[in-house]
Amino acid sequence: MQRRSLAALAALVTIGSSSLFIPSANAQAAKAGGKCAKKQVNKTIGTLICKKEGKALVWREVAVVASTAAPVVATPAGQDDFKGTEISFVHWRAEDKAVFDKLIDAFTAKTGIKVKTNIYPSNDYQSNALNLIKDGDLGDVFTAFRGAQFFNMAKAGLYTDLSNQSFVKNYVPNLIEPGSFDGKQLGLPYQLVFNMPIYNVDLLKSLNLTLPANVNDLPRFCKAVKDKGITPIAWPGGETANAGQLSMNGFMMNNFPTDDTFTKVDTGAAKVTDFWFTRSLQQFKETADDCFQDNPLGTNTNGAIALFAQEKALMLATGTFHMGSALALNPKLNMQLYVPLTTKPGDAAKYEGIYNSAFILGVNAKSKKQGAALKFVEFLSDPVNAEIYANGTSQHSTIEGVKYTKKELQDTAIWAKKKTLLAPRFQFLNLDVRNAVEKSFIDVVGGKSPQAAAAEAQSTIDGKLGVK
Amino acid sequence: MAKPARVKRPQLSLVAFAAPAIAVYGAFFVFPTLRTLWYGFMNWQGPSTQPAWVGLENYKSLIDDSVFRNSVSVSLKFMTVVVLAQVAISLFYSVKLVKNTKTTVFLRALYFFPTILASTSVAFIWAFVYDPASGLVRSVLDLIGLKSYSPSMLGSTHTALYFLVIVQIWFHIGQMILVFVAGLQQIPGELLEAASIDGATRLQVFWKITWPLLAPATAIVVAYTTFQTFRSFELVYNLTEGGPADATRVLSFHIYRQAFEAGEYGLAASQSVVFMVIVLAVTFLQRRALRLVRSDARVFAP
Repeated sequence: MQRRSLAALAALVTIGSSSLFIPSANAQAAKAGGKCAKKQVNKTIGTLICKKEGKALVWREVAVVASTAAPVVATPAGQDDFKGTEISFVHWRAEDKAVFDKLIDAFTAKTGIKVKTNIYPSNDYQSNALNLIKDGDLGDVFTAFRGAQFFNMAKAGLYTDLSNQSFVKNYVPNLIEPGSFDGKQLGLPYQLVFNMPIYNVDLLKSLNLTLPANVNDLPRFCKAVKDKGITPIAWPGGETANAGQLSMNGFMMNNFPTDDTFTKVDTGAAKVTDFWFTRSLQQFKETADDCFQDNPLGTNTNGAIALFAQEKALMLATGTFHMGSALALNPKLNMQLYVPLTTKPGDAAKYEGIYNSAFILGVNAKSKKQGAALKFVEFLSDPVNAEIYANGTSQHSTIEGVKYTKKELQDTAIWAKKKTLLAPRFQFLNLDVRNAVEKSFIDVVGGKSPQAAAAEAQSTIDGKLGVK
Repeated sequence: MAKPARVKRPQLSLVAFAAPAIAVYGAFFVFPTLRTLWYGFMNWQGPSTQPAWVGLENYKSLIDDSVFRNSVSVSLKFMTVVVLAQVAISLFYSVKLVKNTKTTVFLRALYFFPTILASTSVAFIWAFVYDPASGLVRSVLDLIGLKSYSPSMLGSTHTALYFLVIVQIWFHIGQMILVFVAGLQQIPGELLEAASIDGATRLQVFWKITWPLLAPATAIVVAYTTFQTFRSFELVYNLTEGGPADATRVLSFHIYRQAFEAGEYGLAASQSVVFMVIVLAVTFLQRRALRLVRSDARVFAP
């Protein structure tokens, strides 16, 4: 019995380095695993908390983090440690599977906890993952996109509060802000990405050209590149999400009246028929006409990556999250980031680039294995393991002190120190509104005038927001 | 005096035989349909939230929803073009392949082959054909020196839907050819022979005898093609994602996005109900039109 208590104590203490386990004080009134009443849900007696698990109401042991912290459900009652426990990890990054498998093997060897990975394509992630996660049977640890998806999941109460977990301190504070909701740190963005065009450094050098700082000089530059038989920019106009990386981020950062303008468009407080937006559409249209590959609206992401990797295109207008895919096709690529400034020539630019905190890790509030799930997130949050992930997947990390050994990561890490704006494309919480705004960029590339495209987008938005 | 006819009562045992089918139909069709109708009156943001009654608000919002209206228009256009083209092309091929020779049997099997493929596989095959940088169409045009004539295909708002029509027809035409061949083989040879003896031209024989007598087969082809086009979600999802600029955003794809991407399940339910009404209306009109053709057929039927 004594050995069992000690094992439980050890397991709970390891949840976070500052976690303390306080032995049960009122075991007579309620005992771990025993039934509790409906009115006691989420109430604590000593170290026990009444939790709703499916239809059953059960007392569970809690670990109290520091002295003032909120309780976090730890190990299921009567379980000595997590050895043999299998948790489910739901995410969308199939391309990271090999690296995650390696990390999971190390985690299992260290803790005895098995991790089963369930991967759903990013397009279907919202529909599949949300439905599976909500019951708690799958997705003890799960991921979410920044913006509407994270917001919806947080609103649905799917997250365990991680605010008081010690491993949160491993992250760069401003990079994990997108994982907070109602003042609580519900999720931990694991990747730092730069949603800016990637360019081929060696190809640019061989063309003997210099990238123009301003978008006004881009047409002349693109013509010079085209004259040498190279497509200046490969843009995946056939896939809305990646098509929007350049238009909805880089072309917005210095044209926005305020940094949260898309939030205002989302609620009807700002209009896309205003000058800041029509000007952006005009600039984008000119860039598309002069710089994009033939038939840009029929090109999907893989097609655009292939053009770039085959060195038929100088730039790929998506972001650092495609560096790994491009390198897989052409390991000799030497890459750097670029985004043309949309300011008037001579005017100072507020921002130099775009970043995003992505792949938000969370622990399922409905999980019956939260203790083991927390240990897995803690493991991933260790700088040593984050380093393995970052270098293995060619993704920058949101964790402090991660050392990049990959050349492409070292070369582009400099952008973390520049003046960058958190990707505005994810400010939208109403995806119908975002789709309307995104479509206006597709429309201008397809030949519509910026004014007509903006008017159509605003009309759609008004319809969606019920504005007469 | 004749005995009065006995009134037959339905036997319980016979009803019991039908019970499994009724149960399956009820569980997988009637119940979900009623639930969809119910959710159409709700503001429901998804499985993790509580639906709230909003009455006809979802339906009213559809009037102002230009994306929804566009989707209805795209779906009807897609359906019309596919039905007309598929009926015409499959009828043409079936007339050519109606005789049972080794060559025609082989060709029918060849045309039927795409039908057995998964729709996702079909989409990937055609994504390769249409790829603007290195696809089959582009490569062939490059090879013969016509690179500059390479069409935009799925990249143009004006042509994308028609290139999707080509894929849809390629995918299903083999099945339609078989239905028409079966219909043609049902027409009595002596009827056609008599018409020829009476001096009717081949075109007259076709329009006055073959086409009206093919009405039942045509009804099947038209109905089946209509349902196929309304359900053609996977091709759109995998080939165009509804783009460019919503030019191929058919209703099934739009409803999917509304529910599973935007999380507007209540609104998507109301759109599904409107979708059902549209399908019913189109089917009703088609049946009326084909009944007229069939009434022509009765004049000639032996």
